[in-house]
Amino acid sequence: MSPHHPVQSGDLDSSFDPAASVCPAAASGSAGPVFGGLVMAALALPGVMLASPAQAQTAPEYGTIGFKYLHYQDEQPGLKRIEVSSPSVYVLAPLGKQWSIEGSAVLDDVSGASPRWHSTVSGASRSESYRKAGDVKVTHYTGSAAYSLGAAFSDENDYRSRALSAGASFFSADRNTTYNVGLGLARDRIDGTDGGFLGTSLNRKKNTHELLLGVTQALSRVDMTQFNVTYSNGKGFYSDPYKAFDERPGRREQVALLGRWNHHFEGDGSTLRSSYRLYHDSFKINAHTLGLEWAKPVAGGLTLSPLLRYYSQSAAYFYGDALANPATLPVPAGYVLGSPPLYSTDHRLSAFGALTYGLKAEYKFGADWKLDAKVEKYEQRSNWRMGGSGSPGLADFSATMVQLGVSRRF
Amino acid sequence: MVVVTPVTTATTVPPDLGFQFRAMASPCEVRIAGLPSTQAQALAQQAIQEVQRIEAKYSRYRADSVVSRLNAAAGQGQALTVDEETAHLLGFADQLFQFSEGLFDITSGILRRAWNFQSHQPPTADQLAALLPLVGWGRVRWSGTRLELPQAGMELDFGGFGKEYAADRVATLLQAQGVRHGLVNLGGDIRVMGPRLDGSAWQLGVQHPRHTGQILANLPLSDGALATSGDYERYLVHEGVRHCHILNPRTGWPVRHWQSVSVTAPACLAAGALSTLAMLQGPGALAFLKAQGVGCLLVDPYGRCHTVTAAA
Repeated sequence: MSPHHPVQSGDLDSSFDPAASVCPAAASGSAGPVFGGLVMAALALPGVMLASPAQAQTAPEYGTIGFKYLHYQDEQPGLKRIEVSSPSVYVLAPLGKQWSIEGSAVLDDVSGASPRWHSTVSGASRSESYRKAGDVKVTHYTGSAAYSLGAAFSDENDYRSRALSAGASFFSADRNTTYNVGLGLARDRIDGTDGGFLGTSLNRKKNTHELLLGVTQALSRVDMTQFNVTYSNGKGFYSDPYKAFDERPGRREQVALLGRWNHHFEGDGSTLRSSYRLYHDSFKINAHTLGLEWAKPVAGGLTLSPLLRYYSQSAAYFYGDALANPATLPVPAGYVLGSPPLYSTDHRLSAFGALTYGLKAEYKFGADWKLDAKVEKYEQRSNWRMGGSGSPGLADFSATMVQLGVSRRF
Repeated sequence: MVVVTPVTTATTVPPDLGFQFRAMASPCEVRIAGLPSTQAQALAQQAIQEVQRIEAKYSRYRADSVVSRLNAAAGQGQALTVDEETAHLLGFADQLFQFSEGLFDITSGILRRAWNFQSHQPPTADQLAALLPLVGWGRVRWSGTRLELPQAGMELDFGGFGKEYAADRVATLLQAQGVRHGLVNLGGDIRVMGPRLDGSAWQLGVQHPRHTGQILANLPLSDGALATSGDYERYLVHEGVRHCHILNPRTGWPVRHWQSVSVTAPACLAAGALSTLAMLQGPGALAFLKAQGVGCLLVDPYGRCHTVTAAA
């Protein structure tokens, strides 16, 4: 199975920055000129300068090539679980002034114990697998819009995914508003090649369609807001092939509302990025994500960004609580072979709360080079769930992510 | 006065087109390169309309302008609500006044009644004394949305930044529609909309303050704006002393230090306001401009040039 990074979306990307590129002074994280108050006052008048999304309307002026290395390790008390090492490469190249192409490739080396039932230690077999994944996207920029087409693949020995996406962004005449629409579809194939508990080989499918509608609005030269609605509808195999008593619905609808607000502080050049995401799906999981990241330029091209994220979710309606006696198999009451009720003990479907905290350091040197390093720690607890107790009987879960990257503009 | 040095027009498509027109009592030009000529023409038309809109709205020579309406209500004990754009401009003027401790004052235009630059005679002390009580933004009741001139005869004048603001608005309007190469020149207040078609910077000539028609310096600019204030545009010479049109609102007398101040900044509004304020400040202006992080070229009373490169 693919490693499930606990980052539950709501990721705050730095491209969504207020004031970036409006003028050199406002670009956060650069050692650009610092203009005085009167210059800034003049730039703040509506219509005097293009608002920040403006840069998105033409193909990027420079290409970028970057390498990243991610190391992920999760654990429960007394047991290190999945460990992932992922080197990846990313390339973005402008093709003339109206086109750009970007692509990335990643190789995940996944090793460790397959997931345990609840917190029991029974049958945690070792496994080792690789995942190869890549994507490519072509974007066409016209004066007032950008259109993109993308394709992605991901291959593991037991999971194969193919995805296509199409997106469009429309810019208002004053460039203060951008409307985004996106469509995506994914075709996944799930194989349990080592048999699973039931020893049957699988060749199951999952098809997902996704629609995104969004608007990005510059409220002022230093405030940027974004609002997105994502709806996805999937049909197929959602169960865990490695679990005996794991029967999930064959259909999943998901809706997520995402709001973001970035504020740039002119005094010290820092940017505060905040976000809130509300999620609901047909498994009856309701989730909230609250994210804060503060990018603070320090000295000599170095920017430090501490981040904090809180996540809370309710359990899926078919999630089965861990039993009082951990030695017992989690067979639900009334389980009848051949006509399985919906049931899962996957901790990701339980009710819990989680905190992610981390620090990112970004260092720019020369005109074109950038180094970055990020450490994130994820802590999940049943009783950290917002407004209620979480699912009982689950051991704490935590994960550590370390990412190193270098990129160069060309 | 800033002039654009002649640039040979590209003969191959896409063209490099200049559109000349007259507005705000000045020769103006919008230059658009890299777009088909029909599109460039349509954009230039929009640009000219935008300049005319701003002129009609803020000219004190037009009875139906916003400024004339506010001036006509002076001393009537009644605050008028202004539209959003006007509120932003008044807010900017207020910041200029506060920052300059009253040196930049949009109520000081009335002092020009005493100064006739066609003659060779400065006003008498009595003439100035009669007008000075009408000067003082500090006494204007300004709430951020409503404005009241407390005394009959007081006048607002947006001449200190109207052209510069128009140049920025036009540039933003055109950039939003895909213009990546070109410039807007409204009577020497220049806003650049990206480099020339071949990627090189526009060479903007700064006029020599003492030799009409001669270029003092060439400033290369690919982005941002250039504005110049000088003592040479309108002036009279009396008993060997040059009296220019930039008047100190406290004394009613012209400034006497810099021959000219040119400023480069991201926006023309900033460049223009800072160059005028620098003229008003006199010897301290160099440090002030440095602190604002802008590039500048100043000509001192002896004709010597002082430059500051923009913070980089």
